[in-house]
Amino acid sequence: MLEIHLILLFMIAAAIIAVEVRDMLSSVVAVGAVGIGLSLAFLVLKAPDLAIMQLVVEILSLIILVRATSHRDLPFSASGRWVFNTVSTISFILIFLVCAYISLLNLPVFGEPQLRELSKFYIDEARTLTGAENIVESIALRFRAYDSLGEATAIVVATIGVLAIARRVSIKGKADDER
Amino acid sequence: MSIYILCLILFSVGLYCVLRKRNLIKIIIGIGIMEYAANLFFILIGYRQEGRAPIYAHDQVINNMVDPLPQAVVLTSIVLGLALMLLLVAISIRIYEKYRTFDITKINRLKG
Amino acid sequence: MSPNLMIPYLVIVPLAAAFLIIIFGKMTRPAGAIIASIASALSFTVSLMLSFSIVKYGVLIYKVGGWMPPAGIPMIVDSYSALILLIANFIAALVTLYSVNYVKIYTDTWKYFSLLMLMMAGVNGVAVSGDIFNMFVYLEIASLATYALVAFGNEAEALEASFKYAVMSSVASTFMLIGIAFLYNYTSTLNMAYIGKFIEGNRTAKIMSFVSVLFLAGFGLKAALAPFHAWLPDAYTKSPAPIPAISSGVLIKVLGVYALTRLFFNVFGMTKPVSYILIFFAVVSMLGGGILAFGQSNIRRLLGYSSVSQIGYIILGFAIGTPLAVMGSLFHIFNHSVAKSLLFMGAGSIEKTMRTQDIKKISGVISKMPVTGYTSLIGALSICGIPPFGGFWSKLIIIFACIQAGYFGLAFIAAFVSILTLAYYFKAYAPMLFGAKESLSGALKNNRRQFLTDMPMIILAVVSAGSMLFLAPGIMNILMRLATVVIVNGTAYVSVILGSLK
Repeated sequence: MLEIHLILLFMIAAAIIAVEVRDMLSSVVAVGAVGIGLSLAFLVLKAPDLAIMQLVVEILSLIILVRATSHRDLPFSASGRWVFNTVSTISFILIFLVCAYISLLNLPVFGEPQLRELSKFYIDEARTLTGAENIVESIALRFRAYDSLGEATAIVVATIGVLAIARRVSIKGKADDER
Repeated sequence: MSIYILCLILFSVGLYCVLRKRNLIKIIIGIGIMEYAANLFFILIGYRQEGRAPIYAHDQVINNMVDPLPQAVVLTSIVLGLALMLLLVAISIRIYEKYRTFDITKINRLKG
Repeated sequence: MSPNLMIPYLVIVPLAAAFLIIIFGKMTRPAGAIIASIASALSFTVSLMLSFSIVKYGVLIYKVGGWMPPAGIPMIVDSYSALILLIANFIAALVTLYSVNYVKIYTDTWKYFSLLMLMMAGVNGVAVSGDIFNMFVYLEIASLATYALVAFGNEAEALEASFKYAVMSSVASTFMLIGIAFLYNYTSTLNMAYIGKFIEGNRTAKIMSFVSVLFLAGFGLKAALAPFHAWLPDAYTKSPAPIPAISSGVLIKVLGVYALTRLFFNVFGMTKPVSYILIFFAVVSMLGGGILAFGQSNIRRLLGYSSVSQIGYIILGFAIGTPLAVMGSLFHIFNHSVAKSLLFMGAGSIEKTMRTQDIKKISGVISKMPVTGYTSLIGALSICGIPPFGGFWSKLIIIFACIQAGYFGLAFIAAFVSILTLAYYFKAYAPMLFGAKESLSGALKNNRRQFLTDMPMIILAVVSAGSMLFLAPGIMNILMRLATVVIVNGTAYVSVILGSLK
């Protein structure tokens, strides 16, 4: 229990650093720290598949983000009606947190899930129905394979989208210089 | 309870970053932090005290496994977040080539 | 073949087409267009056949992989889904045909067509989904494809609009994900029918209000409901012309309105506070969209704000909740999709010929491009609500429903916004369509008649002009009545689905 709290506090601290620091490369590194903290959290919460997946995806995201920050550009600080904007943002976030807290009171306490008949079905029947030893994989690849199809399709969409955006000549006859 | 609130505070840090920051990459980082928080929240929901990972092993009983369904869901959600990140970063790199800046207040040619 | 085996083809056909286009598109230039057109026509045929089957059977369920829900994921088609699928695939097929000629100005058009097919796979996936997380995954697929398509021309403004749209939309999606997490924690299932069954006793728990707010914000943004509409005018300005047509005709209806009403009517159960909030948003959309449309000089932005306004009408009908109001909203979804896609296609053709999007610089469209001119005229008359074109009947039904339910103020606002709509369309389109024959003289080079560009517009114009016939007894009438029953019966959906699953 204590480990989860500590990891979460570390992640929040790293996130605040990522948000507030001025240098873009440090910001990306801090987000990497948040991601690795998340991977550790998945490990502590007994989700090993997710820890591996999160690590891989985190590394990919970091590479992509670092590619973007290689065009160095210092971020600007706020200007204009920034007092009003900041205050309204923070008050909106506080209202959101308070409402979330109130509704969390209705829910089962952390660590003691209730009424999970569906999960009980998966745990009891997965080996007989699918022959898989890893229940998460049997859910993701057998019972809910349709969602995994969707996830693979999303990567295809992103890839084709990036290819489309990365074209050097988009409109026939006009090179893409300054438009 | 406090764990859930900490997780939602992480979500709020990401939300604050998206709403208030001006650099395009900071905004993308904010969206990434929000995604991490949402995925973590799902897994926190599924945790069982003294539970063990949902993998069958010969020598252990199966009646105290953590909830496997949120893990399958988050598996998909992490990949969706990656796809989004790919697209957003690609768009922002091209925006830099066109506008020569990452400042979102300067990227404002569309009006009305 | 039993009819429920047709359901997966709605997702399979566009997905397969997308992958085939990726493989063959680089080899031969026309492959992308041909495969996309065939695939969209096929999925329209499947949705048409499904509509006929639904009228006979009521509900069709296909269990993906053969696993029994809630362990597996069901694809559920009832009359509301069938109606939305019919409209969506019809518009998508016509927009794909229109795109064939339009995208000739771009390079690498196979990327465009595969993204379009992936978007349709996502849209169909959302419409048939019976599982809330599955709906989220396919919603994300459709949204990702749209971000890339809006930015397809790689112009500076298109990229800017796409980025802002992507950021706003992903914030909304993350809110929805948190909502799904709360919902799972509360109900311990992801299947919509089982969620509905669990919530039956506890509809006013505080967690349900919180989750409702999260979903309202999330789907409200996808539906371009004010105050979440800010992405829409920008995203429509510099994207390729078929994209606003399909976005305004299909995406905001299926990803926004359909998903919102499906969750709120059939799963959560419509409560008084939620309907008041929806009425408030609807009124803000109607008035805001209308007033903001007034000052626009860019034709696409004007049509975009007009979409926001009409979505307000649709949500108003759903929020009021009486059978007449819901029927009016469903009919208005149909009318608006047809007419607005027509108008955007027309705007695309006008733009290509006149080389500008500025209303003040365009004139004489009817004389120079008769097909575009007359069909745009019909589309504009339909949206303004001029009898006998379609929009008149659906707006009339919605206004009557307001009066019948006792909301005289809302009826007055709806009628006022209708007059406002007429005003800004007249102000924009009258000088454009009619008017002097001499302007932008050098712009007539591209005026060859092109069959694939004209035919979709003509078909849509005919459908729009004759849409009041759909109120007469026939396939659409039955489907609309059945869909109205499904929505108004609210949480009876749960028992219907659970009964059919045995």
